[in-house]
Amino acid sequence: MKKIIYWAVALALVACSEDSTLDMKGMFSPQGETVNTRFEQSKAHNDSVGEIHLDMLSDEYSIYVCSDSHITRKTHKNLDYFIAQYLAAHIPKMALHLGDLIDAQKNYPCADSILHQPGIAVNHQPTLLHPFPLFITPGNHDIYFKQWPIYREAFQTSVYWFDTKNGTKKLDLFICLDSAEGELGDQQTAWLKKLLEAKSKEGYRHIIVFTHTHLWKLDGSQGHTSNYAMEATYELTSLLSQYGVEYVWSGHQHARQSVTFKGVQYIVLNATKDSEKGQSYMKVGMGDGISYQFIDYPNE
Amino acid sequence: MRKHFTLLCVLLVAFPMLAAVHQPGFGDRRYSVTGMLEYSYNKTWGHHGNMDIQALMPINPHFEMEAKVQLSTANVYTGVVQLRPKFQVPVGELFIETDVLYKAVARNRLGDMTAALGVGYRMDYVSVTLGLFCRVLDNWDRSIHTDETYVVEPFNLLYRLEVFCRPQNNPWNLSFMFSNVDDYQMERMWQPLFSIGAWYDVADHWRLNFWAQCKPTGMFHLDATFYGATFRTGFTYKF
Repeated sequence: MKKIIYWAVALALVACSEDSTLDMKGMFSPQGETVNTRFEQSKAHNDSVGEIHLDMLSDEYSIYVCSDSHITRKTHKNLDYFIAQYLAAHIPKMALHLGDLIDAQKNYPCADSILHQPGIAVNHQPTLLHPFPLFITPGNHDIYFKQWPIYREAFQTSVYWFDTKNGTKKLDLFICLDSAEGELGDQQTAWLKKLLEAKSKEGYRHIIVFTHTHLWKLDGSQGHTSNYAMEATYELTSLLSQYGVEYVWSGHQHARQSVTFKGVQYIVLNATKDSEKGQSYMKVGMGDGISYQFIDYPNE
Repeated sequence: MRKHFTLLCVLLVAFPMLAAVHQPGFGDRRYSVTGMLEYSYNKTWGHHGNMDIQALMPINPHFEMEAKVQLSTANVYTGVVQLRPKFQVPVGELFIETDVLYKAVARNRLGDMTAALGVGYRMDYVSVTLGLFCRVLDNWDRSIHTDETYVVEPFNLLYRLEVFCRPQNNPWNLSFMFSNVDDYQMERMWQPLFSIGAWYDVADHWRLNFWAQCKPTGMFHLDATFYGATFRTGFTYKF
């Protein structure tokens, strides 16, 4: 009986600690800004800095995509490797991080030092002065425990779009959605619909959406990760299909997956987390078509 | 899809016709027909109303069946068939839950079919079900000239825990339910639903029902927010 009481008290203390990844308060009420608030703040930022148009200086370029790095102050080898590979490539390029950059709170200073290396521009309005643009979307680990203000200070926005061009020639459209709490919210969904309605008529070569939370629960590898409500799944997949989105890239489940539904290909990436073996990042070749390959992280 | 609708129509028409015999089961379960109206809201579909029709058929002491239909102003139509073999044990009742649920999401031109198999145990004050279900989503506009196929989610956990304030054969009752499934939806395992139900037998053949549900999202993202709610009321006629 004493042991039961001891463990119950220990669990309760751990579960209510803001230093713990086992904080359970968030299961019953929002612990910080909701997705609608984050959307409003992101939109205000986007309006203040203006549109992002990346000149790739070529019709063909590469995108380095990783997800779920879950870095801590102690370990971030895979993310270091990803950034090093990205910086070393001598081709027109950009990088995307699909969320869960950090594992728990108090790791943002470490993330800052990795992502804000000279030349890298994260979610800023990129110009040719920033040869290594990197775009990031928030994951659940990035914003829970009231971490949105810190995320916002580091990356300014969680919902945005940008496009690529070659001189005056318009190439591809990229849309970043904030799904950090497993839903988009009514305001973001309305914004997405309006954006797709307008942009789908502008003659983009490809339209790509990237976000953290995956849409499908295809196998047992997703045992520990949650998705959207079914109503939101129906609506979002139909909306993306209706306006010609070709790919949706996401993370969250730490297992690679690909499925096509209503003409949209959904790719879920492996994690970049150090403690998980057999993980990889994705290198995408953008041209008239889209090709992609998964590159394993070196296991030590 | 036409086959599924045909099957549901046959079941809905044929089985209530058998509802002539009073066969008390666990909690005095009799052949019955229920009609209910719902007000519902969620962040995706907004405000909408639903009409529900349910038929319970306790065919013999060891087998009962339910057929349910829901028509929604959100342009979504749901049909459910449940087969429930059951076995009396010294305390309570064991049952096997086999469900087939088809949701025609006409607003998005897709179909969502789920099939569930679970094991349940119910006593006067508690009912518990645990099982698995499989989901198949189909695009109504899918071309046979593409590689696209169905999206199959083969393994989802089904759970339902319902606690009653009074024994289930009481003329009134109040229940609290924690589950990821209800009469007209099967959510993924990390998407729980919280429900409150109540009934009052206003006459020998008539029962008044109330039911309310709250659906949060993001519980297992550790950042739960309100997503939707449903309120339902209607009458059951017990033969």
